[in-house]
Amino acid sequence: MSLLPFWHFQVQWANAMSLAETPPVKLKADRNGLTLVPDSAADFEAITAFMDERLAKSRDFFHETRMVLDLRTRPMRTDEISALCERLYAKSKVKVVEIRLSDDLAFSVEGDVRKPAVPKRDGREPESPAPVIVRNTCRSGVRIVSASDCVILGDVNPGAEIIAQGDIVVFGTLRGVAHAGAGGERTARIWALSIQPNQIRIADLVAVPPKGEKPASNRYEVAEIQNEVIQVITM
Amino acid sequence: MAGKTIVVTSGKGGVGKTTTVANIGTTLAKNKHSVVMIDTDIGLRNLDVVMGLENRIVYNLVDIIEGKCRKEQAMIRDRKLSNLFIIPAAQTREKNSVTPEQMKKLCSNLAAEFDYVLIDCPAGIEQGFKNAIAGADNALVVTTPEVSAIRDADRVIGLLEAAMLTQISLIINRLNLKMVKKGDMMSTEDIISLLSVPLLGVVPESDEVVVSTNRGVPLVHEKSSKAGAAFRRIAARLNGENLPPEEDESNGFFGRMKRLIWN
Repeated sequence: MSLLPFWHFQVQWANAMSLAETPPVKLKADRNGLTLVPDSAADFEAITAFMDERLAKSRDFFHETRMVLDLRTRPMRTDEISALCERLYAKSKVKVVEIRLSDDLAFSVEGDVRKPAVPKRDGREPESPAPVIVRNTCRSGVRIVSASDCVILGDVNPGAEIIAQGDIVVFGTLRGVAHAGAGGERTARIWALSIQPNQIRIADLVAVPPKGEKPASNRYEVAEIQNEVIQVITM
Repeated sequence: MAGKTIVVTSGKGGVGKTTTVANIGTTLAKNKHSVVMIDTDIGLRNLDVVMGLENRIVYNLVDIIEGKCRKEQAMIRDRKLSNLFIIPAAQTREKNSVTPEQMKKLCSNLAAEFDYVLIDCPAGIEQGFKNAIAGADNALVVTTPEVSAIRDADRVIGLLEAAMLTQISLIINRLNLKMVKKGDMMSTEDIISLLSVPLLGVVPESDEVVVSTNRGVPLVHEKSSKAGAAFRRIAARLNGENLPPEEDESNGFFGRMKRLIWN
């Protein structure tokens, strides 16, 4: 009987030690926000228990924060990922906005079009992802989304949508909807051999073509924001 | 050698798919090919009305698929041509009574026995459309020179290409040459530059179509009809003949020059 309390004490002490040495989740803060890095040896229950405890202890600090889940060292099943995200939201309205699966593969959960923060290598600047190149005409109903620039080798027919974070280049006639700088980048431009769109959007501005005949372009046309308005320049 | 299975589709309703199927089928049969036309517009069947065979329907497409009858029992022979058959759609059923796999099987069975299997596709891009294109290896997209029809045709061509049906040709129906010359209607060149598929033929606007539908006799039986002549040319091109484009099909200066040369 007298041994029992001693045994309990020892076990608790062992748990405390293990918590200090290898926490199931590391919380990192950088200029992009908070990143959760689950430990490769931790099991799922330990991860969720740890997060519950941290969120309960510092509720105000974590309330409504946006976090990135870094699964590069400890992959998770999709049901585990959704359970964890739901739990974080339920406890403290924490939103997991991005999930990193490997050094060059990350996906954003909200549909929020931010550039993925690629870790720096050798101190060089992070490179933006490669442009999306479409090598045929985009027919009505086609929707192309690019995290950087987008090049269409063909026409964009009315009813097609091209959405890019960066510039859009159409080597043909743009007749559909093009949205460049979709993440808010007002310096983005739209290039086409001929711009005759239903609608053109750059960052948060929208423009429709003016009524009446417009002079046919000899070479190419560029749409960009000048003086808070989208202008189309014919070359 | 197996016959050709051709689906006639458009996306937009009312542009002339059923009329095209009826007239091309009749012309091919007149030229001694064996032809079967399938109406896949379950619930809104029209091909039987246009062919004048409404009263002769006993079994239909859904009966064949469900095994209630053999396909020979559902095929109705045309009144005038002994090598032309039609498989009507069911009027009291819905489009999900048939699956694409079942259509594919039926079309390949028919292609083994006929020179041409023409499939009349319903309007839209949902289940009816998917059923109709499942068994086809060629597609004819019908459009009128109107902005809304061309939008829908573009969408349909995109869906056909996505379904790996790459043999696509275009038919422009109800072209009114006077309006094109006045600038009120899109010209053939405008349409082709947008849709970018080869043109099989142009059919001029004609009041005779309504009359022929009401009577249940396809236009091509009338020797004097211009629209009928256009359908006859289209059927010939489908068969591989290399006919030069007519005055309706290439308007403008070069069109007139061509007319002088070919006459």
